[in-house]
Amino acid sequence: MTMKADIVIIGGGISGAAIAYNLAKKGMKNIVVVEKRFIASGATGACGAGIRQQWGTEMNCKIAKMSCEFFENANEILGYEGDIEFKQGGYLLLASNEKEEEQFKRNIALQNRLGIASKALSLEEAKEIVPMLNTEGFVSAAYHHKDGHLNPFHTTLAFVKAAEKLGVTFMKYTEVTGIDVNGDEIIGVQTTKGYIETSRVVNAAGGQSQDIARMVGLELPIYSERHQILVTEPVDPILSTMVMSFTGNFYCQQVPHGGIVMGRGDAGEPRDGNINSGWHFLEEMARTITKLLPPLKKAMVIRQWAGLYNITPDRQPILGPVKEIKGFYLAVGFSGHGFMFGPATGILMSEIIMGEPTSIDISSLNLYRFDRGEMVFEPSVV
Amino acid sequence: MRIHEHPVLTYEKGREVEFTCNGEIVVGYEGETIAAALHAAGIKVLKHSIQNHRPRGFYCAIGNCSSCLMEVDGVPNVRICVEPLKEGMIVKTQEGKGALE
Repeated sequence: MTMKADIVIIGGGISGAAIAYNLAKKGMKNIVVVEKRFIASGATGACGAGIRQQWGTEMNCKIAKMSCEFFENANEILGYEGDIEFKQGGYLLLASNEKEEEQFKRNIALQNRLGIASKALSLEEAKEIVPMLNTEGFVSAAYHHKDGHLNPFHTTLAFVKAAEKLGVTFMKYTEVTGIDVNGDEIIGVQTTKGYIETSRVVNAAGGQSQDIARMVGLELPIYSERHQILVTEPVDPILSTMVMSFTGNFYCQQVPHGGIVMGRGDAGEPRDGNINSGWHFLEEMARTITKLLPPLKKAMVIRQWAGLYNITPDRQPILGPVKEIKGFYLAVGFSGHGFMFGPATGILMSEIIMGEPTSIDISSLNLYRFDRGEMVFEPSVV
Repeated sequence: MRIHEHPVLTYEKGREVEFTCNGEIVVGYEGETIAAALHAAGIKVLKHSIQNHRPRGFYCAIGNCSSCLMEVDGVPNVRICVEPLKEGMIVKTQEGKGALE
């Protein structure tokens, strides 16, 4: 079976769905999204779904702010019958030492300049927001009341449904097996469900973005690292705010249903695509979180899972075209924050693809910044 | 009616002990499950469903279905169908999903 598409988007996560929706809204026809499994089955569905505007680089702040403002009205904008469950209960970042405190102060100054009303808090003030917080080992905090978290499945589905209404085709359980190139032009995409003739491809493949890039001969300076998460049984509301520590290497939030979702990074995590769960994480996570939020000792863990961070050298995404292959676009390397950047990714990538000026200047997020040494390292990542 | 054989646990029926359920003194045997003791005492409503507040009782008996979650000695969401009874336990029906504090 051979199909024809004006553009093929690889990846049915938040990025792919948001790009498809925005392109369709701008009037593009014959958009096909190819997803290996089901919608949000990769990093999107596995993510902690925290939403924050408290970043350490101007670019990440701007992208996050744009996305957050979209999330505030996403149910209405996308005409979603469900609820994306955006809980704007704030986001509390804990500083473990003076160096981190200084970094937070620099970040807050940057954020405030960009219109993000984050502020520094003393530990006493932090405890007013999270009364059960054990502040031992921390020196201060940063907080932004408009940050929070939402449901990654509902959010992605909201984009998918809106895109489908505009005529986008989502091919699920369809794997891309190759991309055919003639000279420097794309001619088609091979999939397990047939051939798609197209001259444009968007790589939004999350943890598999390197594999997709290799299909057109591009080596991306990216690795995919496993990050694990667990969730407790649902309990009465006890945590209104998302809590995170970069040095402590954890984040924690309570979803509206009542389950408490938490995750942490680990330098020893595998980088070979492994997304199995391990008991080591369970032990470390339980130890960390019950020290931080002691009442959680009484909550039982009911489930554990993992996903892939697609990590670039400067922890900022790569967005835009490539010079080697005409019509090949990258929306990759989100380094653990692709979900919260999703709405902006959709808007900005659609502008680039349609040849319009971008709402935010993201030219510095091109693939070639690494070779040129023009990286701006994002300090605020777990 | 008293449950003597548990589907997945083996336990020794110990001495007769007292505990409380919502403040009422109940007698059971040490080591049997809390659910077995409550059932024998005629206490059939263990919790209420979250959304419609319908009564929920003893159901799977193997710690799987969450129909018997109660607060025991201040700990919410205890699966009383697999939790051994001890003397003096304070068992309460819990409202909502269980308070951690």
